[in-house]
Amino acid sequence: MPDELAHPPLAELLGDRYTESAFERSFYRRDLGVVPPRLAALIGDTLPQAVARPRTADEVAAILRYAAERRLAVTPRAAATTAYWNAVPLAGGLLLDLSGLTGPVEINEARLTATVLPGTRWAEFDRALRRRGFAVLSYPTSAPAATVGGWLCMEGYGIGSLKYGGVQGQLRELEAALANGQLTRVPGASEKPGALRATGFAGSEGTLAIITRAELVIRRAPAAIGHHLLTFPDMAAATGAAAELAAASPTPFYAHFAAESYSRFLRRAGFTPAADSPLLAITYDGDPDEVARGDHNVGRAVAHWRGEALSAALAQREWDERFLALRLKRAGPSVLGAESWLPAARLADYADGVAKLAAQQGLPIATYGTIVAPGWATVMSLYGCDESRPLPYLLALSLTKKLYDVAFRHGGRPYGIGVWNTPYLAQAMSAEELAMRRATKRTFDPANILNPGKVYAPPRLLWPPTFRLGMELLAGARRVSKGWL
Amino acid sequence: MESAAAFTGLDQEARICAHCGYCQAVCPTYAALGWESAGPRGRMTLAAEALRRDSFPDAAAQRIYECTLCGHCREACATRIDTLAAWLEVRRRLADRGALERLPLGRLRDNLRQSRNVTGDPAENRLMWQADLEQADPGLNGRAGAEIVYFVGCVTGLYGQGHPIAQAAAEIFRAAGLDFTTLGSAEWCCGFPYLGLGLPDEAAAVARHNLAAVHALGARTIVTSCPSCFHMWRDVYPDLLGAAPGLEVLHASELLARLLAEGRFDLAGRPMRVTYHDPCDLGRNSGVYDAPRAVLRAIPGLELVEMADYREDALCCGGGGNLEAVNPALVAEIAARRIAQAAETGATALVTPCQQCKRTLAAAARKARARLKVLDLNEIVRQAMGV
Repeated sequence: MPDELAHPPLAELLGDRYTESAFERSFYRRDLGVVPPRLAALIGDTLPQAVARPRTADEVAAILRYAAERRLAVTPRAAATTAYWNAVPLAGGLLLDLSGLTGPVEINEARLTATVLPGTRWAEFDRALRRRGFAVLSYPTSAPAATVGGWLCMEGYGIGSLKYGGVQGQLRELEAALANGQLTRVPGASEKPGALRATGFAGSEGTLAIITRAELVIRRAPAAIGHHLLTFPDMAAATGAAAELAAASPTPFYAHFAAESYSRFLRRAGFTPAADSPLLAITYDGDPDEVARGDHNVGRAVAHWRGEALSAALAQREWDERFLALRLKRAGPSVLGAESWLPAARLADYADGVAKLAAQQGLPIATYGTIVAPGWATVMSLYGCDESRPLPYLLALSLTKKLYDVAFRHGGRPYGIGVWNTPYLAQAMSAEELAMRRATKRTFDPANILNPGKVYAPPRLLWPPTFRLGMELLAGARRVSKGWL
Repeated sequence: MESAAAFTGLDQEARICAHCGYCQAVCPTYAALGWESAGPRGRMTLAAEALRRDSFPDAAAQRIYECTLCGHCREACATRIDTLAAWLEVRRRLADRGALERLPLGRLRDNLRQSRNVTGDPAENRLMWQADLEQADPGLNGRAGAEIVYFVGCVTGLYGQGHPIAQAAAEIFRAAGLDFTTLGSAEWCCGFPYLGLGLPDEAAAVARHNLAAVHALGARTIVTSCPSCFHMWRDVYPDLLGAAPGLEVLHASELLARLLAEGRFDLAGRPMRVTYHDPCDLGRNSGVYDAPRAVLRAIPGLELVEMADYREDALCCGGGGNLEAVNPALVAEIAARRIAQAAETGATALVTPCQQCKRTLAAAARKARARLKVLDLNEIVRQAMGV
């Protein structure tokens, strides 16, 4: 630690959980995404001035009070499992690592809720509940790492959302530290105009307040679970079956689909896909009768959509590997991509559009996703590249924009904003919604201390008209140069 | 799970790493220290840096060696990187660049080079554990023609705390009528600490010596009470030597389970609530989970209660990877977490088939004033045999 600290009161507050060491700080400049350092430097100051690791809500509040007095930017972060720089500093300042806000999970059986601290990882939360006969309603596809506080600040759709809805709807109450350092209780729903509501945290990405505790609805651990893995002649049939099953009763707990491009990519990565044709993984859980009725629905859907049910062992394997989509990276070694929120009815058209883009660019693109709400899906399209080759990598970045263009054509939008999706704000939400979000931000963080540079407006370099032009030029250059770069 | 871990070279794997953080969630070092630099994804960043640059800061080298090599990150890795192979490779590169002198690892390396053991003791000290045996047996040391060689290991043979384990094992083997011996003072370190330092060539040299010594006796089976020695003999020696040793390699827990199944001895017991700690090198890194549990369940009156994390998910005790030489306080912190889990079970004894786990966990139990006796598997079996 340097002899002269920039923020001695924080060192005094946190002791060895505070650092200004250049070595330690350097690890907080990134998330899953790889950005060439020169490009990163053009976007903002990603190196925090200090890293603080509070363990209690009071410590979080004290740090925010200190930061507010000095108008010091604060970037909240925990597992940093996103790829759009949602938790990467853009204005130096203070990096607040919330991973240490963990503790026992408290269950209220009468209310059927659990109170959990925000640094708790979803897999760990669910495990703690299951040991006592309960379970979470839903969890992110990155549950082994993603934290409760992190997902509550994102859009919050993942595994189980189809059956139980977005995670913010499962909130009974939050405790949060506001930008001025005040700890406040936020109800799950509030009719009071202008009040901060727990549901208002959806998509706020740490820009409104810092969650320090959450009370979430839970369920009794399901008595039965049934997995199915189906394969179909084409994506229209696979996604048609998915939509049909999602709309039927009982509602599946999980409905995951993958285009044939996913299976090809998986094979390139060194793994054996369950089939080379489009896949649909369906899971029902609940009481045995519900699972049996789900099984019956699957049988009907298979017959109707000319599908084929794969073995129980393959279905189990697909379920066991539901958190391992990133193994596709072995075909990279780097990957880039776009995650979109899409109408389920347009999934096949989207997959077709992506396949055409892949053919045009001469680049394999893997498409897979999850039906997360009746009529809606989150879809990931990934392509391989190599970050160690700067020019081809830079050119490849442009394809993310082309993938979003395909999504836009089919009624989609980016899923999550961070920094890198700010050029698409106009497509991501309506002007009214954006205005409302900006007004809420001004109310609760007038000095723009919390996670500045995210969600509400693009940085200068990503100004939409020039960004679009730049990306088109890069995509064109990539297309022309693909044979020799 | 179908997706096995792979290692295609440090440079490639460092780029394949997605920085998803699944590894961080299970890393004992990260749990104790809390800094990004201290977890596996931070270590992977350091590995990539080590490749790019000729020099590296001491802080980076410290973080690379502040890993117990428990293998939990490999199990968790979303991109299926064989992280253990990656950590050993980056250590090799750092050792080549003088990291051992810059960290408190030079002494361990010198002990290994000069005395062929981790403590620096003279080779004859490997026989000290035999002094307290109830029946002296000259055939215990290098007896040609014995069917089995009991490979005692450095920590068991040279630390006073390890002696009861070797004594228990020898007395059980004798009671079961096994034809066994040891390499005595000809035994060298199994090579695991060399690998952990980043000295694979020297690990191969000791492997060659040990194998030649066993072959010279004509034995057909190697038994170890140390999980790391077992892992080396069974899984690593074939790679180091370019061929399988041509021996049956057993951990003592496997041999005990076999002897019990064959009815080679009887056990008596009394009501006792026991929890079991899976050593990383026996469980996650070698896949032996059932044999030690079968042995415990064979003891009449013994109730086996599992900790919250067990088998593949078991927490590390902190004692591996040469961490004790680099950061002993960190070992204690990691062990304290495991002892807290053991105490939650309400067990009065924690049993583990590993001398190093026993050392670290016993120290943590004492420090936490936990009412928990820490025993090696051989010790509890000997008690139940009444030998």
